[in-house]
Amino acid sequence: MNCTRRNFLIGGSTTLFLSGYFPKISFASMQKKNLIIISLRGGMDGLTAVPVIGDKSLKKLRKKLILEDVLNLNSDFGLHPKLEIFHKLWEINQAAFVHATNIPYTGRSHFDGQNLMETGAHIPYKEKTGWLGRGLLASNIIGKGLAISLPMPLLLRGVPQNNNFFPSPDFVETKLIDQIYNEFKGEHNELIKSTLDTIKQRPFSMQIATDSEDRKKLALEAAKQLKDQSGPRVAVFDLDGFDTHAAQGGVDGAHADELEEINKIVTILYENLGQAFDNTLILTLTEFGRTIKQNGGYGTEHGYGSAILMAGGLVKKSQVYTDWPGLKKKELFEGRDLNSTIDSRAVYNSAMSVCFNQDPEFLRKEVFWGDELPDLSQELFKI
Amino acid sequence: MSLKFYRRVAFGLSPNEKQDKDPLNWALSQLNTIPDLLWPGSIPSEKDLRKKYGEWVYGDREVLRKKYKNDKNAYKIAKDELRIKTGERYFELNEHAIRHFQTKYSAQPVFERFWLFWGNHFAISEKDFLAEFSTGPYQREIIRPNMVKTFEDMVLSVTTSWCMIHHLDNSESFGPNSKKGMEWRETINENHARELLELHTVSPNAGYTQEDVIQLAYIMTGWSHKWSRKNLETGDVWFDQEMHQKGDKVVLGVKYKNDAKRELTKVIHDLATHPICIKFVSTKLCRHFITDEPTEEMINPVIEAWNNSNGSLVEIHKAVITQAYKYNETTHKFHPPEIWLMQLSRMFDLNTPLSAKKMEYTFKSRPTNKQRQLSWILREIGNSPYRAKQPNGWSDFEVDWVSPELLLRRFWFASIELPMLIKPGNKSHDFILACLKNNFEDHENMASIIHQFRFGTSDKDLGRKYGVICNLPGVLKI
Repeated sequence: MNCTRRNFLIGGSTTLFLSGYFPKISFASMQKKNLIIISLRGGMDGLTAVPVIGDKSLKKLRKKLILEDVLNLNSDFGLHPKLEIFHKLWEINQAAFVHATNIPYTGRSHFDGQNLMETGAHIPYKEKTGWLGRGLLASNIIGKGLAISLPMPLLLRGVPQNNNFFPSPDFVETKLIDQIYNEFKGEHNELIKSTLDTIKQRPFSMQIATDSEDRKKLALEAAKQLKDQSGPRVAVFDLDGFDTHAAQGGVDGAHADELEEINKIVTILYENLGQAFDNTLILTLTEFGRTIKQNGGYGTEHGYGSAILMAGGLVKKSQVYTDWPGLKKKELFEGRDLNSTIDSRAVYNSAMSVCFNQDPEFLRKEVFWGDELPDLSQELFKI
Repeated sequence: MSLKFYRRVAFGLSPNEKQDKDPLNWALSQLNTIPDLLWPGSIPSEKDLRKKYGEWVYGDREVLRKKYKNDKNAYKIAKDELRIKTGERYFELNEHAIRHFQTKYSAQPVFERFWLFWGNHFAISEKDFLAEFSTGPYQREIIRPNMVKTFEDMVLSVTTSWCMIHHLDNSESFGPNSKKGMEWRETINENHARELLELHTVSPNAGYTQEDVIQLAYIMTGWSHKWSRKNLETGDVWFDQEMHQKGDKVVLGVKYKNDAKRELTKVIHDLATHPICIKFVSTKLCRHFITDEPTEEMINPVIEAWNNSNGSLVEIHKAVITQAYKYNETTHKFHPPEIWLMQLSRMFDLNTPLSAKKMEYTFKSRPTNKQRQLSWILREIGNSPYRAKQPNGWSDFEVDWVSPELLLRRFWFASIELPMLIKPGNKSHDFILACLKNNFEDHENMASIIHQFRFGTSDKDLGRKYGVICNLPGVLKI
């Protein structure tokens, strides 16, 4: 990396503050827009997914983890070879990356970090709802959340009637629910009761039995539903295993395997959403990045800044959007981590504003307690 | 006192158990001793299973991968054979049988509930082949014997156990100024130190810094498994002075003088007796037995018992049960799927786990579907006990266990799988009614809901009855 930090700053957010928000009521905005979040638990290493090219400090500190071949993005950044689909989409302006970004959390605990990446708050375990759930509620989009996981992710909580898809091995006679439904009385049974309501209203296509170990099948069903104009508008995938303290590897290895999982999901969505892909935004979410330096087990420790991988027709153009902090010792966060120069919540807030047709200012207040999050929708997304 | 106390602190009453005249005393008297494991089948030792773990990783990594490096299919076949030979496919199934046999038949079921609690507090999450070989024996040989000692004893045993050291990578942590660290230019791995602080003892409430984590990691350097060419990472845990960071360390403002292996004992003493640790763990205990958000009034007597007894787990457990008894009528607690399954198994005397005889394994073919059944059910209801996704273990909050699919899985189990687990003599409608009467005050209301199905005895009819009964609010929750 030959460039200094300021060369990278694209656009000036101050001008955007002044530009205001003018919702466009056009045919395009009548089309349902999908927002898909892929949670990457364990701490995704932004420098493995979107490595900076030719940085001497990185080479020195990560002798065993350097990627030999990367896919080319631009003169400064490459892409991990397992993230093929993002490269393909990059070529047609449907993939982009935000780098050196994270939620404003520097504590390096997975559990606190994951709680905060989902709640969007500052104090762990204080909020009981997720930013995505609150965004849906504020936008009055009810019953349109779909989680591709067995539990309901915290990220989606806060808006009623979310669904999830992770079917059991056999068909279940849901009419049994009618026999007991009225037994759920009192405040302490409300959550179960409203969940039973959701089950009763599930579309027929979800009442199937399948092998939920097969991530492909799940992603296919998600694509099918998202494609439906009256289907869900938000989907949340959950991946874990990014916490590579040992044997992290480079082109192959523990981290590469996880990146491959992201690639699979995005590929299936791309191939099966058809036209709906043009009205879709896919974003990743993680609790933190990883240390620059490799550790005693050829892995990396919990860090700070990471990257957001973005794909879909609502991406503005192929770009690595960053205010690059540099990797020299004094440029690192606490001398060890890639710094975060962009509050990732600004990206998510902007993405919600685009997909939910909402004023970003309004969402910022409703969802993120008015925290100072610049509107990045014009830089990052098609509006 | 309502019958739900027996489910709050244990697994309900089996058909041949009757409620006690003094339920509180019934529960308290179960906590003084460690009940024997009742499983009549094989209970292999941690060390033996670690040897098997070694045979498996050595055979795969050092032999098969090299031998078949150019033949993917032959490799796959040979690897499958090795899985069978080393029990890689089997031991976890056997561990689930040991665990569920215990919760079903133990004469001290309240003790068993605490066993489940501590195993989850000091969770071993899904990593490498720990669930396949080592997490079960860790629960039996590390967690269980410590339950009549002090919390501090338990933390020390857990921290120096092979299973936890492997789980949290401490063997890969080198003091940068140690002999080996300098020679090999290696450094620390913070994973274990961070979780010892965050999950096992003081929690982030203690306000420790990154420097505290590093300093604790320095103290922990050297605690590692012995390594040999044949056993690889499965050797015993020892303290390797040549990996240990030299010099004094400071954790949470306390200075630990350079004192080799003795540093760990000292720091664990300070962490395990730290007031914030006591509050954190007491809160978790109350959450497990009383309600998701326990109040200060609920927690304080537990903290008091902890302080008065210098962390004696027997006394702490008694205080928790006393509180659970006190708040039994006024609080609700939703049970995670595994405990729900254990309760159904005990209350309705289900035919699970499989008999010890049928669980016998010859290491010559894959385990049978019957042998795999319990483990498969646990996975499908979302709660395979030794496969928590992360080192913080399984959640104890209702919101984490309620989603459309998680509730559907319970209907799935109760209406489709459970009928196949009913013993031949127990298929009559009267049997269900008797079990309900034994465990629920409102059994008449429950009976009226399934009255319409009373004549059916086919699996499908039984499925409807149990599908409904097992998912009533008073069964999912106490």
